[in-house]
Amino acid sequence: MSLPPDERPPGLVLDARLHLLDRQILDVDGVPVCTVDDLEVHGVDGSDRPDGAQPAVVTSLLSGAVLATRVFGGRPPSSRWHRIRWAHVADVGTTVKLGVRGSELDVTWTERWVRDHIITRIPGGSHDPG
Amino acid sequence: MILGDLLDSPVVDPGGARLGFVVDVRFALDGPLDGLLAAPRLHGLLVSPRTGTSFLGYERNGVNAPALLARWFAWRHRGTFLVHWTDVESVTGDAVALRAGFRRFAADLPGTPAQRP
Repeated sequence: MSLPPDERPPGLVLDARLHLLDRQILDVDGVPVCTVDDLEVHGVDGSDRPDGAQPAVVTSLLSGAVLATRVFGGRPPSSRWHRIRWAHVADVGTTVKLGVRGSELDVTWTERWVRDHIITRIPGGSHDPG
Repeated sequence: MILGDLLDSPVVDPGGARLGFVVDVRFALDGPLDGLLAAPRLHGLLVSPRTGTSFLGYERNGVNAPALLARWFAWRHRGTFLVHWTDVESVTGDAVALRAGFRRFAADLPGTPAQRP
């Protein structure tokens, strides 16, 4: 039984698993930031439990410590996700490109912490080797 | 709502009969402008009746090579359909329920592979 074709929406069509999840996120300078581990969706009225009665849109890309939950099941609690607002996204292709620097985002705080508290204490670690 | 809560959820018709599982969620970049791009609007759910997983979207992207794999995945995901978000009655932790009179559409992605991300 063949089904009728869907009416093509006016914008770019993205299937979440095929085109967004697990894609690399690059900042405005092309520096890798993280990967898209999940997406946050809200109703256009701000509802966090939308249904088909109202349009729903992606508001944030989520990244977090998902290794354990992928192995053992479940998902991290909402408070453990790092959010990158969709407003920062500049392009979606084979990677997701942002219009801001990664150093301005909460998701990279562990890298900054390691740099400031560990790497800089190693002799020669406080300057660019180049 | 976290999208991961929706993926792999069972989908039931208005009578409570199971239709399949949400194997993917389709968005269209035609929502309200949010920063540099339009926000991705939730366009519909891709429902597969026989399995909770999908592999590389073979059943919806028109790719037919390698032929053996393409045929295997097309067969495995036969009956996959798209249902519009407006036909979703409710989303609970247990299942996605569809409205009475919901319509099924072909799951194929629009455009050619070269036009997609």
